[in-house]
Amino acid sequence: MRLSILLTLPATLLSLIYAQEQHSYTEHLHLKPLPDNSLYAGFTFTSTTPYTAYASNHFRYFPRSLAQILQYTHTAELHLRFALGRWDEESWGSRPRRGLREGGNGVELWAWMDGAEEGWSDLVNSLSGLFCASLNFVDSGKTTRPVLSFEPEGTLEELQRKRSRTGELRLLHGMLPHEVVCTENLTPFLKLLPCKGKAGISSLLDGHKLFDANWQTMAVDVRPVCTPGGDCILEIEQTVDMVLDIERSMRPRESPIPRPLPIEDVTCDETKGYNGHDTCYPRRPKGETAWSLSSVFGRPIRGSCALGGSEKQEYDITFEVPSERTVEITSETTIPQSTTSSGSRTYRLPQNADFDLNLPHQVLGSSAQASTLEQPPLYASRQLTGHGAERGGMHTLLRNPHPYTQRIVYLESLPWFLRPYMHTLALSGAGKMEKMFYTPLLDRKRGTHLELLIEIQPLSTVELTYDFEKAILRYTEYPPDANRGFDIPAAIIRVLPSSNNSQSKQGSYLRTTSLLLPLPTPDFSMPYNVIILTSTVIALGFGSIFNLLVRRFVLVEEVPGNAIAGVVRRVRDGVARIRGMVKGGGVGRVDNGGGGVVKKGEEVVGGEVRKVDGGGRGGKKDR
Amino acid sequence: MNRWADGKACQLHYPLYIGLTWDDYDISPVQDLASQVQSLLRAENDLSLYDFYIIADTTTAETSQRAKLSGPGAGGELGEYRGHALSVNVITDPSTKSTSASLRTWRPVLDVRHNPERSVDSATLAPFIASEIRKIYEHENDAISHLLRDTPFTTSGQVEALSPEVKSSLDARRTRAFKYAATYHLTFSLFTSSASPSAWEAEQALEDSIRPLLDRFSSISEFTVDTQVQLLASFSPSIAGPQYDESTREWKLQRTDLSGFVNAAEWPLNPGIGSGPTINFVLFVPSEDQSPLVLAETGGNSWLIPQWGGVQILNPSGKQSEKLSAADLRPVMLTFADQLSALLGLPDSPASPSLRISSLVRERATSLVLSASSTLGALARLSLKLTSIAIPDSVAKSVDETILRLDQACHDLRDGRYHRALENARTAEGEAEQAFFEPSMVGQVYFPEEHKVAVYVPLLGPMAVPLVMAALKEFRKLRATKAKVA
Repeated sequence: MRLSILLTLPATLLSLIYAQEQHSYTEHLHLKPLPDNSLYAGFTFTSTTPYTAYASNHFRYFPRSLAQILQYTHTAELHLRFALGRWDEESWGSRPRRGLREGGNGVELWAWMDGAEEGWSDLVNSLSGLFCASLNFVDSGKTTRPVLSFEPEGTLEELQRKRSRTGELRLLHGMLPHEVVCTENLTPFLKLLPCKGKAGISSLLDGHKLFDANWQTMAVDVRPVCTPGGDCILEIEQTVDMVLDIERSMRPRESPIPRPLPIEDVTCDETKGYNGHDTCYPRRPKGETAWSLSSVFGRPIRGSCALGGSEKQEYDITFEVPSERTVEITSETTIPQSTTSSGSRTYRLPQNADFDLNLPHQVLGSSAQASTLEQPPLYASRQLTGHGAERGGMHTLLRNPHPYTQRIVYLESLPWFLRPYMHTLALSGAGKMEKMFYTPLLDRKRGTHLELLIEIQPLSTVELTYDFEKAILRYTEYPPDANRGFDIPAAIIRVLPSSNNSQSKQGSYLRTTSLLLPLPTPDFSMPYNVIILTSTVIALGFGSIFNLLVRRFVLVEEVPGNAIAGVVRRVRDGVARIRGMVKGGGVGRVDNGGGGVVKKGEEVVGGEVRKVDGGGRGGKKDR
Repeated sequence: MNRWADGKACQLHYPLYIGLTWDDYDISPVQDLASQVQSLLRAENDLSLYDFYIIADTTTAETSQRAKLSGPGAGGELGEYRGHALSVNVITDPSTKSTSASLRTWRPVLDVRHNPERSVDSATLAPFIASEIRKIYEHENDAISHLLRDTPFTTSGQVEALSPEVKSSLDARRTRAFKYAATYHLTFSLFTSSASPSAWEAEQALEDSIRPLLDRFSSISEFTVDTQVQLLASFSPSIAGPQYDESTREWKLQRTDLSGFVNAAEWPLNPGIGSGPTINFVLFVPSEDQSPLVLAETGGNSWLIPQWGGVQILNPSGKQSEKLSAADLRPVMLTFADQLSALLGLPDSPASPSLRISSLVRERATSLVLSASSTLGALARLSLKLTSIAIPDSVAKSVDETILRLDQACHDLRDGRYHRALENARTAEGEAEQAFFEPSMVGQVYFPEEHKVAVYVPLLGPMAVPLVMAALKEFRKLRATKAKVA
């Protein structure tokens, strides 16, 4: 609960505060241990620039490289996501930041822009260069224009009025589920920050740990914030969220392969029947694991990234733990800190000094352990059904765990090679479809865009199914790893805010996992086989016709003595003699004679053969 | 195409119309003086690239008055002030002892003061004016001769041999300068080793020191300016880094480190988006414990990276402030302005910037014509060499456009309309480059014949075997019958 409230703060309240203070930079780290030895870490970096400075190209904390792209492509609001892994709702509860700062597996991008198609293609190409991602593959076939799923976070209308532009801003959305997010995307992400990972909480971000996490997502969000009738500022919020497996992260970097402990060091569960002197069932360790920031992240925080005007900022780190849990601070200087009634601790980072949090092994009382997880707004899962290379089906389950009716927007952007049969689209269970937006696909030009507004009854499950046909691709359209299958982007589900509880017009988001669709794949050596086979057939035909044309037919007597034939005969004689000698004795002598007889006969045969096809080559071949 | 590539299509010649006024006199003695100066200039063979036309002008004095009234903002027309490349103003001044000449800073005007009591006749005045004019155009003549050297546009007698010193200085200027572009992006970056200063009043400082220079250049190119602040900038690991010198109590940066000083891997110096190159200016503020930081050899604090930009070190003064004020930045920006003129290829002489800019226009137009024609030549050679290459219509269109624009540029040059010549030459060059780097052709250039052979070998191989064998047999038989006959 606290998690989500705290993280909606920057979106609403903070932006109002910083509207006055124009060039600003703040950062915040939220840590929260999750069940099963997991640790959630949410990094937030926010920089702002006044819109006038942005328009005249003078940058201080706002990254120039990104601003240039936004200006060139006339982008008013940008959202970029890099995501890896799956948020496990069953064991971790509801999503951080209400799912607003996460994306589907791979890369996801949506933006409100002034221009039309060229602006979008410029944007994806430039971002692809800036973030070292294959965003340039987001072409018209992967771009959709959602209607209900996204709401601008910034005050776009005010901005348009300020810039005295009349045209309406357009929302474009693209997803790349195939993209593997890795260190090469983190480095440019960190470069956009004023402290570049050298100081402040960003010094904890290390590619080895971040991409080893169970779930991680990096987001870049740029939005204009205008005070009514007043000035505008442009705000960039960069967030990194991850769930680390504490044990896994604490493995030493030199020998990351887990090895069994010596049997003396294992605490055995002796109640098991098969317990013996050399077999042991390890007992689950009691209490919380001991860990520290430097052991989990590989290094401590290297001082604060305190820039001018950061005095207003209260705390850099919020650590949400039960109040009984002991937390030790390792730092050379005294750290301003405070503890809230619920047990959350907040810390302020020291200047130019390392900072580390240390949690010893501890067995907590039962009251602290029974911390309940917050229910996510909705559970969703999506699978492919069917068999064979021709048809398939999509099956989505949506479960409302709350005792009130919820309205959701379900967005699917499908690639063109998955052709849904819309007449099979069916919604069963306690829910009803209120609206549907559907853009049919065009082969190789446009994918399917399907957006549904669904109402789900309290505590019930809704099932959405449809069938589809798999297209057959052209030979050159297959990727090098064609047999792996083709990624189908995640479905995006927006849970609309209920009218009585409208803390934000955004609502909350969740995304299903991306799917892997096997398509009929040809044998890629086929063209070569065809070339070789046809060539052989043609050559055979050509050879025989040619031979028929040029060969002369003569009698045996007319055949002149052939030098090669003589050599071959002599070699054969020699072989036969040696064979006889090896077999040995009198038998060998008899054999020798026999050999001679055969030889004579062969010669006759050879002559006849030669008579038939006459050529030196043919004769040689037959022998 | 080949006419241009071989330099036969255009004879490069630069007419210069020079206005001449003489405040005291009527039209006839002025005309006499003008024709004398003209014949003197033409008699000498050293400025063979130019045709001088000296025009007696009685209205110049008025116009200059009017120009003064209209204010100094009329920067765009400076190069072609009243259509003249240069105006010579002869002023009768009884107070001067000897005849003297001076160039005005922002106008292409040469003021010649002479005392009629001391040298009355125009016979001594004419050679003086002629030699002054020659002095003004000497440097440009050298530069253009150097450009034309070793190109097919050189005609015998037109290009004189240059002394090695002049040549090396021209070469240095050419290697330093950016290739000509219609738009340049200027990026001014403040890099600090520590977290402060984290702000600078760059906007104000740029307005004061760089903007006037850019206004001068606006007739040639356009500029976009942006600034950024980058904190916690570290040195690249590939350089040794500054060494502390006990004797002078300074941190010294070795010459070998200068080339690697800009940490390209970590410093975000992305080039600007859109067409045109980016010129980077980096102001580096070392951290307190590494200052003062100076260059080991010269003790200076700034250097220029050819065709990239300029770097400057600003050692923090005693008080460490969060913000660099416009006053602090003034000397910095003046150095950047110098570096910018060098990077744009502005010649070092003559003294008047407006004359320098107009000579830069001529130089740039010439070099664009040369490069467009050599690209055309290369394209012609390529299409002859790779006969299998398919040439799309767009290339043909671009080549036509290039030739048309080159013709126009040539005419403009010969008629003395240098700004239009530059514009046409720029379009020609752009079109030529576009034709040469046509994406569909680039792919074909790298498609070798061997690939086709690889596909056909499975067919041709088996078919060749019976053919070869039959040929061998026939040959042997022929030899056998010959032997029999013999």
